[in-house]
Amino acid sequence: MSKQPLPEFSTAGIDAVLMTFGDTMSATLPLYLAHLRQTILQQLGGIVAEVVPAYTSLLVYYDARTVRLYDLEQALEKAAASVAYPALASAEQIVLDVPVCYGGHFGPDLERVAEHSGLTTTEVIQLHQQDDYLVAALGFSPGFAYLSGLNERLITPRLDTPRKTVPAGSVGIAGAQTAVYPTSGPGGWNLIGRAVTTWFNAQGNPAMAHGPEAMTPVQVGDRVRFVAISEADYLALYATTQGEHS
Amino acid sequence: MTTGMLVIKPGIHATVQDQGRFGYQHLGVTPGGPGDAMAANWANRLLDNAANCAVLEITAGGTELECQTQTMVAVTGGDLNLTINGRPQVPWRSFWVKQGDTLKFGYPRYGFRAYVAVQGGFQVAHTLGSCATVTRNGLGGLDGKGSSLKPADFIPCKAMAQEGIQRQIPESYLPDLDSALTLHVIPGYQQHDFTKAAWQIFWDGEYELSAASDSMGARMKGPAIATPKVNLLSEAVCYGAIQVPGDGQPIILLQQRQTLGGYPKLGSILPLSGYALAQRPPGTKVRFRPMGLATAQQQMRRYLRFFGL
Repeated sequence: MSKQPLPEFSTAGIDAVLMTFGDTMSATLPLYLAHLRQTILQQLGGIVAEVVPAYTSLLVYYDARTVRLYDLEQALEKAAASVAYPALASAEQIVLDVPVCYGGHFGPDLERVAEHSGLTTTEVIQLHQQDDYLVAALGFSPGFAYLSGLNERLITPRLDTPRKTVPAGSVGIAGAQTAVYPTSGPGGWNLIGRAVTTWFNAQGNPAMAHGPEAMTPVQVGDRVRFVAISEADYLALYATTQGEHS
Repeated sequence: MTTGMLVIKPGIHATVQDQGRFGYQHLGVTPGGPGDAMAANWANRLLDNAANCAVLEITAGGTELECQTQTMVAVTGGDLNLTINGRPQVPWRSFWVKQGDTLKFGYPRYGFRAYVAVQGGFQVAHTLGSCATVTRNGLGGLDGKGSSLKPADFIPCKAMAQEGIQRQIPESYLPDLDSALTLHVIPGYQQHDFTKAAWQIFWDGEYELSAASDSMGARMKGPAIATPKVNLLSEAVCYGAIQVPGDGQPIILLQQRQTLGGYPKLGSILPLSGYALAQRPPGTKVRFRPMGLATAQQQMRRYLRFFGL
């Protein structure tokens, strides 16, 4: 078991304090932050409104009328010390398989990524599926999972001119990050494929962290694995998921 | 029969709002809510409504509504040349309206957004605990999918048996929506990453509210601020955070902000300053002044206590 990280506190706004745990990502930190988030909400629910994890930090929104910053920081420090630092590859981590149809009209930038990395498109597809990715943050838009752990050879800069519309489910690479667009919208990532997974379900149960009832299929600290499928399989899967959600 | 208001013309941009959608930022869901939360609170206060009652936010005017009910209506915020059945009306007061009456908003005389409340609030279903419209997230509004108001939309609200008391907010309470704007800044935890020279430029500079602004962020045009060379991992960002991207032009993150941000931040503005900013049209001149955290919290405490929040 690794050593407990010590939080640093800083004022982010009139009702928000940022807890930072160093400035480098580790494989287990997101899971620790997810646990700590739950603990803070349970222990300090009366004075803490929301806790938002991302990479190495937690932003804690508090009620400035019921608690002084000094007391809050002490309580948060105690909470941080009470949460055990998780072991690597914890059994609690959900590994979500995400079927992706790579290339073709679903992945218009696959060639660009291949060219940039000096690989064939087949090698790009293979490398992208090879390792698990860690959900380091959920944010920007509902269900958008920032995945860390992209193979270094696939690092590709963003497009010079962002696309006006990127279809929902598009799998993209930007710098050292990869992610799936939960909904359609503008975007400058290199698109290499399309997934059918639903990333945000507004009808879901916020109390559920996982399973078909949950609002998002993964939480911060979980893992994601991409699995290549054919276009025919993609279309078949797409038809079934559309049936479920209509 | 369901009673309510019929949208004849939505105008430039009209939406349903309440206080916002809280508790889901860890999944990427932005809070949203009214741009000028204080004016929205006043609208509900004039009718003795609960603070979280749904109101309409009319941005820049052009909206036309027909009453298909009889009720008390309160209009606050910017003066958008409101007429009721063709007769000019000043905002910051409540009115009795009857079946067939029309509320017509022209274009701003002063201010930028008007708020319309009805007795008991508009009856709009909640998605994730709120009806606040956030188009980008596909949440809230009449359809629950983030749509702004469209022609022929019907917004249900209760009918009142008899006329209530008309109220008007005393002039001394009214915010000044017209003069040059000074935003109060609480310097944040990355303040020391910016150089002294960069801060000097920021405090001395006059900025202009850019037309590229929206409810996610108010973009400032003015003297460029040198950004520190730090490669930050994204972290959650709060209301009012002042991000400085590579071009040195500050962006103030507002109620529909993205939940995470990776640009260096100078600090955050006092929320009351943010509400005043929401009443300014693009092109408005803006200056920044520092404020201590304790003073800022005291001002917000007073505001929240006043509205019973």
